[in-house]
Amino acid sequence: MIRKRITITNPLGLHARPATMLVKLATKFRSEFHIRKDDMVINGKSIMGVMTLAAEYGSELEIIADGVDETFLINEITELFQTNFGE
Amino acid sequence: MQVYSGLATSHGIAIGISRKILREPLEIKQTSITPDEITRELQRFEAGVESIILELDELIKLYSHSRDNRDILTTHKMILMDPEFLIRVRTKITKELFTTEHAIQQHFAEVVELFQKMDNEYFAQRSADYKDVSDRLLSHLLNKSSDSLDSIEAGTIIISDTISPSLLSRLIQQNIGGLCLERGTRNSHSSIIARSMNVPMIINVPQVSTEFADGQMMILDGNTGTVILHPDEATLQEYQKKLTQQQHRRDKLQEMLYESAVTSDGHPVILRSNIEIPEEMTAVLDANSDGIGLFRTEFLFMGSNHLPSEQEQYNMYRSIAEQAAPHSVTIRTIDVGGDKLSALLNLDRESNPNLGCRGIRLSFAKEEVFRVQIRAVLRANITGSIKLMFPMISGIGEFRKVKDIIVQCGAELDDRGEPWRMPDLGVMIEVPSAALTADVLAKEVAFMSIGTNDLVQYTLAVDRDNDMVEAYYQTAHPAVLRLIEHTAQQAAAHNIPVAVCGEMAGDPRYLPLLLGLGVTELSVSPSRILTLKQQIRAISYHHWKLVAKEVLSLATARDVEERITKEGSYDSLR
Repeated sequence: MIRKRITITNPLGLHARPATMLVKLATKFRSEFHIRKDDMVINGKSIMGVMTLAAEYGSELEIIADGVDETFLINEITELFQTNFGE
Repeated sequence: MQVYSGLATSHGIAIGISRKILREPLEIKQTSITPDEITRELQRFEAGVESIILELDELIKLYSHSRDNRDILTTHKMILMDPEFLIRVRTKITKELFTTEHAIQQHFAEVVELFQKMDNEYFAQRSADYKDVSDRLLSHLLNKSSDSLDSIEAGTIIISDTISPSLLSRLIQQNIGGLCLERGTRNSHSSIIARSMNVPMIINVPQVSTEFADGQMMILDGNTGTVILHPDEATLQEYQKKLTQQQHRRDKLQEMLYESAVTSDGHPVILRSNIEIPEEMTAVLDANSDGIGLFRTEFLFMGSNHLPSEQEQYNMYRSIAEQAAPHSVTIRTIDVGGDKLSALLNLDRESNPNLGCRGIRLSFAKEEVFRVQIRAVLRANITGSIKLMFPMISGIGEFRKVKDIIVQCGAELDDRGEPWRMPDLGVMIEVPSAALTADVLAKEVAFMSIGTNDLVQYTLAVDRDNDMVEAYYQTAHPAVLRLIEHTAQQAAAHNIPVAVCGEMAGDPRYLPLLLGLGVTELSVSPSRILTLKQQIRAISYHHWKLVAKEVLSLATARDVEERITKEGSYDSLR
């Protein structure tokens, strides 16, 4: 299992489009994927889950992957956050 | 005067007074089920989700130029594919014994509440997306139909958010002028019906619900996708003129109704209709065509919430055969890629569906589903007017295998004591290898039908849906024409009919050439029948035989186009 802390740096936060991109990417991997914000943990492959996080600019998240391709998943998801979802 | 633009899915012009058909409230009458209904409910749920995903895919393609729309639709698709959503609804069905509709409604109500509790306004507003998806899914499952429409006058222009095929069929009987819709898709059942009945229809006009009202003067231009509200005098006159011309053309075509399809030098051509859904039979009969040359059965499977049973299919085939009598009906067995039916058939996704498990290959892979269809056809054919053909045949091997299966199906029906009759069996020629071995096929099949859309795609290695390679999709490419000619020659040598049922058959530019190449039958949308008949009566078969011979030795598609344009026989008909 890998855990990694991430801060949201795109101005609008995890709104519909980034959330869709995030879920779309996560679904490509076989590992389980969860996201924690404060004491809320959601399934990172669920758009409903990701959107109910209501993660705004500056929110601190922990991404958690568990499975055969966990390293790749974490790397690619991290990159998506670092590039601000292309916004 | 206000002008809006949308997507025309059925051509023609209409001028009339608007009538708004309001969306009915989604009322769920039944909320619970018994334990033995769980499996059926789960199937309905999966199939419903699958249909809406397909609908969204089509819309996403349509909005390839508009990122905002595309993004919203993609989000909606993700909402439907959400594992949490699927699990929660399934649990509500299996554990709480909710109907699919009730389970979906409850689930989305919970989600919407969750969103509305948020302090961030942006996220709170996202509940609208969930509401939208929920409505889409529920109206699909409830398959609403409407009443109190008896007062609609002829020529009325219907405005609505969407329209169901059953309601549309009813409105067409009342001679409406046209339709303007907020949503829809080009290949929905409703669009197909509108096209085959020549009723103008424009979709994707977002202002319908907000800016349009009952009783307004409207113009629909289904040739450009333009919708005009409160037209000024000049515009009205301009369109009145166009409408008169359109009416004149249609009257002229009606004169063709009882004429036979024979060239000016006496060569007869058989003209049949393509249909996808039973509702199109009205249009087929109106056009007085020589029966059905292609009944695409995949819509039976895709529009439904479950796999259609043998009896359901039998009833449908039988009814179509009876309506088409004394003409024949050619039924094509299910022709889709696995990508379109993955939920109904439990299939894995393929990386290259066009070259994958589709057409007859899918039928072999899901033989039980195929056998149900075959048995239904054999039974429906007791009148003897049904022909059966198979898609994606690459050579005689598949045809022989199909024949074995059909013989076994016949034996099963004998065991059950059901009467049946063997239909004429034919193949689609759409894979180049089948065209090249047409001599081998022609010895064993009763007829051949060339599907030009796929034949072009496979001969030229061009994906029809890929904009990047659009320029390479050349219907008139000499390679395609040579394959058609070879197929037609082999059919003639073995004395069997050869049809063309792709878009090429309905295109006035290519029709004379196809006849010249030796094609004996054409199968097109019922709305095209009279136009083609008019054209056939004006051309000389012997002349086009010479043109065809000449064209076969040309170098490029462009050369071919230039050569046939020189003939000019189609100019007045486009």
